[in-house]
Amino acid sequence: MQKKKKLIALLVLAGLASGTAIGEPRRPPPLPEEEIKVERLAPADGNRLYVVDPAFGHMVDGRTHVLDGKSGRFLGMIGTGFGSLMLPSKDGRSLYQVTTYYPRLSRGQRTDVVEIHDTQTLALKGEIDIPPRRAQSISYRGMLATSADGRFLYIQNATPATSVGIVDLVAGKFVAEVQTPGCWSIQAWQQGYRFSAICGDGTLLTVTLDEAGQAKSRERSAPFFDPDKDPIFIHPEIVGDERYFVSYNGNVYKVGLAGEAPRFEAPWSLLDQADRKRNWRPGGLQISALHRASGTFFVNMHDKGAEGTHKNPSKEIWAVDLQSRKRLARIASNQSISVAVSQGAEPLLYGLSHDGKVQVRRVAPGYPVLRDIAGIGETPMFMEVN
Amino acid sequence: MNFLKLFDSLAERSTRGVAQRSGRRGFLVGVSKVLVASAFVLPVLPFDRTVQAAGKPAPKKEPTDTDCDYWRYCSVDGFLCSCCGGTMTTCPPGTTPSAVSWVGTCHNPADGRDYLVSYNDCCGRTTCGRCGCNTNIRERAGYRLGVHNDINWCMANQSSLYHCTVSVIVGLEEGQS
Repeated sequence: MQKKKKLIALLVLAGLASGTAIGEPRRPPPLPEEEIKVERLAPADGNRLYVVDPAFGHMVDGRTHVLDGKSGRFLGMIGTGFGSLMLPSKDGRSLYQVTTYYPRLSRGQRTDVVEIHDTQTLALKGEIDIPPRRAQSISYRGMLATSADGRFLYIQNATPATSVGIVDLVAGKFVAEVQTPGCWSIQAWQQGYRFSAICGDGTLLTVTLDEAGQAKSRERSAPFFDPDKDPIFIHPEIVGDERYFVSYNGNVYKVGLAGEAPRFEAPWSLLDQADRKRNWRPGGLQISALHRASGTFFVNMHDKGAEGTHKNPSKEIWAVDLQSRKRLARIASNQSISVAVSQGAEPLLYGLSHDGKVQVRRVAPGYPVLRDIAGIGETPMFMEVN
Repeated sequence: MNFLKLFDSLAERSTRGVAQRSGRRGFLVGVSKVLVASAFVLPVLPFDRTVQAAGKPAPKKEPTDTDCDYWRYCSVDGFLCSCCGGTMTTCPPGTTPSAVSWVGTCHNPADGRDYLVSYNDCCGRTTCGRCGCNTNIRERAGYRLGVHNDINWCMANQSSLYHCTVSVIVGLEEGQS
């Protein structure tokens, strides 16, 4: 047997040698054997993009896509069930998905759950059951929020009566539900366990929780906007204690969430007279983004605006200086419905279009396109960059 | 449900859709200055509005109950049940009407009246995926939840899975007869 093998080997070698002799190139050494490993993500570097895709054509199977916005690389995916809400944790190490499952896909007992995913392994590292009342909304910023110290997760509920569920992430349990009738979205304060919600009469409801997460006080502000004449988008830009909201008509509302009660500044307009004539308006889902260090505010804008166009994709993304309130640039848009910007010294501006393309631009004079990242899911809607 | 943000970039670029929208503009002026979309039976709104400027000649086709710009769909965000085995007012077989709904106020060009339209979702199956529409006339953020369409109105049903949306007349707008 051994001899036979050797003989065969010799014959093969001879064959090879003769092959070489007649001019065929020498084959390189064989490839090494391989083993399967599982990728682990490098720590997020400020341009990690989380793109929420409820997979609207088959909603039981939503997902959050994970991308490196700088290199354009698709890094992985998290399965998120039905109409999930998403929020990265303050330290960037976890991704919260608040979602709904049925044991037999479309039937059985509804289960709502907070899933905690590891942002380096994309593995599920914890889950907390919550009452089946969380808002099955698209994942606007403000449907979920964490307390400043990261201990509590606040969850928007709708049955359709509105309330906020309080989850203690440290203890790993649901602890309370706070009624917030007629009010929507969660604007967490930087101090203490306190949040505000925007109400249908133009006021802000501010709820303060005790150490156990139970409501101990509720205060209503005076109206700060007119929901009939100048409704605001609930999407906030956040700089410390300050919140910036944009209205359907292109006014910017600044709200301070510090001290005893919210403070409101008089709104100002993004538009000049020529803009008004062409009916430029903000629109989309995630209608703004903010580079905090420079105070550059990006707003998703379309012209020919009218009643009902407030979710239109943008024709341009406007860059506005928050200090001087001057427009710095009008950036051509890829018909984005949602915008985001990374922080740091070399920020990147992201525009997400409904067909699953993310256009990446440098925040630099001329806003040059760095790349287009295509094929990001089926019906992507929201992004967070971390 | 009313998540819709439509995706159908093929339909979006349908010149036929563009032409139709342009042609029906006259009907909609009374309702609002905006075109309420439609790309034939294919979905897509509001994304296709950006291509309106193409200015193709307008065919003379009335919108039907499977077109996004049919008058009573003025604030729909989801799949039309008319394309999913139901009608404007009936849910497809095997689904369950939502217990709660949002309401639009739509102008009927045929009789000149504004009607209150209840947009009930049909529930208990995964999404239908046909005739997606996203019109947002008088739609508002969740602080006005009764006119908000970015939330699943199957939320109160035993199975909250969203399938499609019906558009049921529930009365005239206040002050009309």
